[in-house]
Amino acid sequence: MGFWDTITDLVEAATPWSTADADAPAKESTEEVTAETTQEEASSEKEAAEAPEEEPAAEEEEEEEEEEEEEEEPEIVDPKEQLEEECRNSKQCAPVKHHFDECVERVTSAQANGETAKEDCVEEFFHLAHCATQCAAPKLWSILK
Amino acid sequence: MLARSCLRATRAFAGARNGAVQITKRAASSSSSGSTAESPLRLNIAAAASTAVAAGSIAWYYHLYGPNADAMTPAEEGLHPTHYPWVHQQWFKTFDHQALRRGFQVYREVCASCHSLSRVPYRALVGTILTVDEAKALAEENEYDTEPNDQGEIEKRPGKLSDYLPAPYKNDEAARFANNGALPPDLSLIVKARHGGCDYIFSLLTGYPDEPPAGAQVGAGLNFNPYFPGTGIAMARVLYDGLVEYEDGTPASTSQMAKDVVEFLNWAAEPEMDDRKKMGMKVLVVTSVLFALSVWVKRYKWAWIKSRQIVYDPPKDVRH
Ligand code: HEC
Repeated sequence: MGFWDTITDLVEAATPWSTADADAPAKESTEEVTAETTQEEASSEKEAAEAPEEEPAAEEEEEEEEEEEEEEEPEIVDPKEQLEEECRNSKQCAPVKHHFDECVERVTSAQANGETAKEDCVEEFFHLAHCATQCAAPKLWSILK
Repeated sequence: MLARSCLRATRAFAGARNGAVQITKRAASSSSSGSTAESPLRLNIAAAASTAVAAGSIAWYYHLYGPNADAMTPAEEGLHPTHYPWVHQQWFKTFDHQALRRGFQVYREVCASCHSLSRVPYRALVGTILTVDEAKALAEENEYDTEPNDQGEIEKRPGKLSDYLPAPYKNDEAARFANNGALPPDLSLIVKARHGGCDYIFSLLTGYPDEPPAGAQVGAGLNFNPYFPGTGIAMARVLYDGLVEYEDGTPASTSQMAKDVVEFLNWAAEPEMDDRKKMGMKVLVVTSVLFALSVWVKRYKWAWIKSRQIVYDPPKDVRH
């Protein structure tokens, strides 16, 4: 946090016109909205009754809207995994990744040959994970809310 | 100076060993004034020896106590979590109450089915996480025992703000039975109860790898998590992208949910933090005012001393 952030925080906290309330905001407008929507519904019903041949078009519109809604919700990707993947492949973590990959190869080939592996790659995994999380931490926090 | 004291030391040492030499020396040195009579070789040997003893004792100390002796393997110790720049850990920052609200939602929708939060009453949520009405409505969703009535019967009543959040299981045995023998700990103080605090729990929740590293042994019914001491934890990964739907539209990625729920748990463990920081500010304000006052008072009290003038009026030069 910069020094000026602190100052602006202090000023914000001290200004008498900024208030924080624990109460929910007043709900006056909802009734109006519902009234309007019921009116709209009524009018649309009327329209529908008056013009039955327009219905298919309206349906098509609705379908389009649904599709749009589906498009609006993109698959959530976890920024942590993304950033750490980038970090694992970065130059910074290259040495530890090299050790980890080598260990995995050793152990898996030993297992494939039917031997019981004399080691595991937990420590190598630790070093790699440590490097990747360390590298991703500040970037992650700038993305998360 | 150093040479002198070295000389004295060697003299005393020599004296203890051999009085006779000492006496002749004394005579010699007193006759030919100063230390020139001491052989420079002896001086050098003494200095070198004492330096060697000093360096050697440090080296020996380091050899004995310097390096850590780890009784555990790194896997048994668990991976130490990375430090994340939590907002609430900054000196002049409060909790992010929007995050607390999201975190409470994650706790309620995900963790509450296994973990209790027995030290948090509904009233604590009012004003920090929920509005009064929301908290009341939430409390009323659960039933609590009444005081015994006239006939000594205990009845049920809807919850009130003064009630505590309900636990998912009747008792620890039931909790163990439902979780393969592992007890999901109460989360009220978990942030303070674990090394690494927020960092540890965030790392724990987000740190489940897709598959354990090659060769790692994972016990039956356990899941590999590098951050859990021993790496085998009975809690499986619980957070997946998009598991909850936030009311403020924040994308519910795994790490976002983990961050929010950890901030919430940190609040649960330390709800007084905002007040504490506010009190700290007050202390700073009051002491700075008092300090300024004291400086002015000192100026005032010293004014006459600082401004006085001492005049020496020499007698007139009288020529005789
Ligand atoms: C399916 C039930 C279940 C759910 C849901 C669950 N946990 Fe757990 N949790 C467990 C069990 C069981 C343990 C005990 C693990 C052990 O001791 O091996 C545990 C342990 C823990 C621990 C302690 C780890 C330690 O160091 O001892 C923390 C912290 C934790 N859970 C946090 C959470 C959070 C936060 C959530 C919600 C996002 C959550 N859990 C959801 C079952 C669950």
